[in-house]
Amino acid sequence: MTTEASSRAGSDQPTAEEGFADRVELALPARPELIFLARMIAAAVASRADFGYDQVEDLRLALDELCLPLLGEGTAEDRMQMQFDWTEDAIEVAVVLGAQARLTGGVGRAVTTPKPNELSERILDALVDSHGFDHRDGTTRSWLRMRRRKDLD
Amino acid sequence: MSTEANFAISETEDRGVAVLLVRGEVDVSTAPELGNRLFSLADEGRRDVVVDLSEVTFVDSTALGVLVGALKRFRSNGGDVRLVVTEPQISKVLEITGLTEVFSIFPTSEEAVGA
Repeated sequence: MTTEASSRAGSDQPTAEEGFADRVELALPARPELIFLARMIAAAVASRADFGYDQVEDLRLALDELCLPLLGEGTAEDRMQMQFDWTEDAIEVAVVLGAQARLTGGVGRAVTTPKPNELSERILDALVDSHGFDHRDGTTRSWLRMRRRKDLD
Repeated sequence: MSTEANFAISETEDRGVAVLLVRGEVDVSTAPELGNRLFSLADEGRRDVVVDLSEVTFVDSTALGVLVGALKRFRSNGGDVRLVVTEPQISKVLEITGLTEVFSIFPTSEEAVGA
């Protein structure tokens, strides 16, 4: 059950389970010095999806901003589990935090303040089509969705 | 190749103005070091500082937060934090966040020092 959600730019919350041709999952310790790994994977996924250079860079930054509130609450035992789904038209990323974080199964944990700060919010609003978070079965899931901008290809 | 390996700060002085040349990615992991260097300069009584971001390949909101914090500190002492920005991606983040209206931004370190 979704108890709270935030979204932007008037787009629908992503439906990650349906319609996406490819998926990559990444799990890494929730430590600031490792967030660059998530950015690398984001850039690789966007390149693999054949997004243009500007949008590759945009996704790299947007994912970083999406993860910051989770990193702020991460403990030594926590890890971040990320799921990248894409088609030729869109990329979705979802992130959960927890000692045994999984995007399905509800074994992540709640994040007290998943909402980005003001600067992060401005960046995310500008770079992606929609972003937000929801709480489901005790797990906070942060997500973003970026559609291909053909004018940037 | 890690962020830590890419990130570096070197400090020089040009016409009495401290210049920090930053390289690599400035994110939640590396921004605190930049903040420490900037606040150390403020503690030393430096009036102005130039932060050269021309060799920076990535900044996020934590980096911007550090720069804004330093700007407040230097301006409270009658000084300024001047930025050198040449990379389009860095300019874009500053524009998105409205910080192009807050910082003095220059295309070269020479111009920033001479301003």
